[in-house]
Amino acid sequence: MRWFGFGFNAFGQIHVRGRATSAASGDVAAEVKVIGPTEVTGHEGSRRLKTCRIKASWSRRASLHLNGDSCVCLAGFGAATSDESCGVSVVVSRGCTDASIGELHLTLVFPDRIESWDLQKKEETPSWSMELEPQSESSGPPLKLPLVPGGYIATKPPFYRSLSPHLKAKSLALGAEHAILLCATGAVYTWGLGSHGQLGHGGLTSEEEPRAVEALCGMTMSSVATGGWHSVCISDGGDLYVWGWNESGQLGLPSRGLRKALQQQSSQQAAGAACQVADSSPGEEVFISIQAFPALLDVAPSCEIRTVSCGSRHTAAVTTTGDLYTWGWGEYGQLGHQTLISSDEPKCVEFFREQQLHVVDVTCGMWNTFAAVIAEEAASS
Amino acid sequence: MKTCSSMATLWSKISAVLPPGEEQFPLQFSDTVESSLVDVLKRSRRQLYGDAASSSSRAIDAQIILDFSWEKLNTGTWRHVDKEWRRLYAYGCLFKVAALCREGPSADNVPQAVRTCDMGLLMGAAIMDNILQVIVGILQGEVRKSSKEEDDKTEQVEVKRLKIECPRAPVIRGELAVPRVKCPSLESFNTNHLLPLKPVILEGIIDHWPALNGHRWSIEYLRSVAGCRTVPVEVGSRYTDEEWSQTLLTVDEFIDRYILNEDGVTGLGYLAQHQLFDQIPELKEDIRLPDYCCLGEEDEDDITVNAWFGPGGTVSPLHHDPQQNFLAQVVGSKYIRLYSPEDTDKLYPHQSQLLHNTSQVEAENPDTERFPDFAAAPYLECVLRPGDVLFIPVRHWHYVRSLELSFSVSFWWS
Repeated sequence: MRWFGFGFNAFGQIHVRGRATSAASGDVAAEVKVIGPTEVTGHEGSRRLKTCRIKASWSRRASLHLNGDSCVCLAGFGAATSDESCGVSVVVSRGCTDASIGELHLTLVFPDRIESWDLQKKEETPSWSMELEPQSESSGPPLKLPLVPGGYIATKPPFYRSLSPHLKAKSLALGAEHAILLCATGAVYTWGLGSHGQLGHGGLTSEEEPRAVEALCGMTMSSVATGGWHSVCISDGGDLYVWGWNESGQLGLPSRGLRKALQQQSSQQAAGAACQVADSSPGEEVFISIQAFPALLDVAPSCEIRTVSCGSRHTAAVTTTGDLYTWGWGEYGQLGHQTLISSDEPKCVEFFREQQLHVVDVTCGMWNTFAAVIAEEAASS
Repeated sequence: MKTCSSMATLWSKISAVLPPGEEQFPLQFSDTVESSLVDVLKRSRRQLYGDAASSSSRAIDAQIILDFSWEKLNTGTWRHVDKEWRRLYAYGCLFKVAALCREGPSADNVPQAVRTCDMGLLMGAAIMDNILQVIVGILQGEVRKSSKEEDDKTEQVEVKRLKIECPRAPVIRGELAVPRVKCPSLESFNTNHLLPLKPVILEGIIDHWPALNGHRWSIEYLRSVAGCRTVPVEVGSRYTDEEWSQTLLTVDEFIDRYILNEDGVTGLGYLAQHQLFDQIPELKEDIRLPDYCCLGEEDEDDITVNAWFGPGGTVSPLHHDPQQNFLAQVVGSKYIRLYSPEDTDKLYPHQSQLLHNTSQVEAENPDTERFPDFAAAPYLECVLRPGDVLFIPVRHWHYVRSLELSFSVSFWWS
């Protein structure tokens, strides 16, 4: 499995930057904003580490190598800038089974404990840790971060927050100001601030406690994801539901703010001509800036969604047929379409089709996207 | 057309107000600001004083700071946003403005730089002795120099258009009229109106305002003083409507689109409840704080002064505010209706937290089926004209509709 990344790379978290003092303006832009999928290297060399998972924060990328001698490697802010190594290999991560990364902390899950390490202070011990009861055989598949037995790990203190066992938490995603929980029953709960419609209950009010998203009742959801201010979930039939803020088209619905920004950009480029770019209302088009109830999004004709991930203001979805679709904020190249243009319509990342690569997973950092691929022959076999 | 040499002069003027070197340029932040971001800030500061950096590199780093802090500004409720993020946003604006003004003779750079300063003033917190205010002043000087030729032609067209708008003002019945008094003494205002919380129109107390005399406010004057500045505009019939929204426009754009209806836009736009006079100090010179504000307990600096500028037909739905209000009418006229807090039970306030200070009733077109008691609520009304100042006592319900092009200034004090 190979990983490709695109989007925000100011800290070299996708690929190491060249000597950045180069005055040629094109270089800096191309380095900071990686507009086309670029292979994430670093695990060649003497130790053949297989990157199973990638997690990304704003300024870093964590590669989880989980086979045999598992460990986590970091790239980006504060990491060594050598082309060969996969970044700073975090010695303390040996033997971990899962990891997640925020701007301030690296959280590691071990069979018997969880630790949070402060990335800003280079200390000898974790800034926070918690012991785990040994998991019995019958307790089902291991929980993925931020879920931990009995609750979850938040991005700021208090780190450990409990969740009621009757919710039967299966998977959890945390946005900038809200949370979305998938239960074993297939039901979805949300809580937190709701001023951008991201809770999906039809209004803009906040919820202190998990509240079921009633619009999805009767359907079984199989995975959930959050962006900064939007929520996404996939039904067991492969349908994608979106709700929340759409100011950059991150919901894949027509966005007025986006159209205006694109108009302004194109009128700035035509600065010489005295053209007035009027506020056009093309026909009867309905713009959506906030979607307060889940809406079914048609990503591509007759396709099923396998997995989805969101950055702060963009969304990336992988179909069962191995295509990657992206939409939303694109000004750092995080949509992967070789441009810096945002989009309110899902578009296929053509690069993978052209290279005959079958996308199997996707994970987003705040302003970038990482896709896992296998060769197409491998996919069909 | 901007020439290379005029951009060079602009940059030297701006350099002159920046700290002389990197060591004197402060970048102090609390722990709230992640070190990765501080890294970008330091790089921007280095590039500000060094020559090696390219213009795109400066622009990119400034934009990173802006994009990151913008996301923080939109996280949580505005009231609770850590001031550090607002400061950071202002730094981003500063670095972006510096990058714009430094290189490239593009005529578009100056208006963009003005807009960037305004974004920093509107959304950011003051940094480095309010340096963005200083810089926008320099930039406005540049804008005025290059746009002198445009003004004369359009003036006549505007005057013609405005003459058409002069609807009949509603007739105010004597017994319902807000009482008027000319230049009362502080004591008599206090005794007869402030203490008993009774509305009154004060006449003659703003006759000395430059806005009504030497610098008489008009469309042309406002354009010349603030045309290129970006301001928040409310779009839609009233803030209780679903279609209501806020947008950012330059004063020129606002006037063209919503006052002169130049591109055939049909909706209403209102430059409402905006502290314009903090943003544009020149306009602040044209008004004065009413003397009667000294009867309050607050510091002069805590008095909120808002501008209300818009075409005929703008409506502020019936609502009340938590402070005393002097509403000074400078240009045009407004129909205003006042209800006492004692009659709140007949005014059907919204239940929600957000709109609990606003009535559900459309004051001039009440739905008598849904709101039967409203018709029985006693009220006072008036047509406020240039030179009038309406005293709206604290928590007194008020409904305002502009009858023509109008500019009012409100003073919220306690």
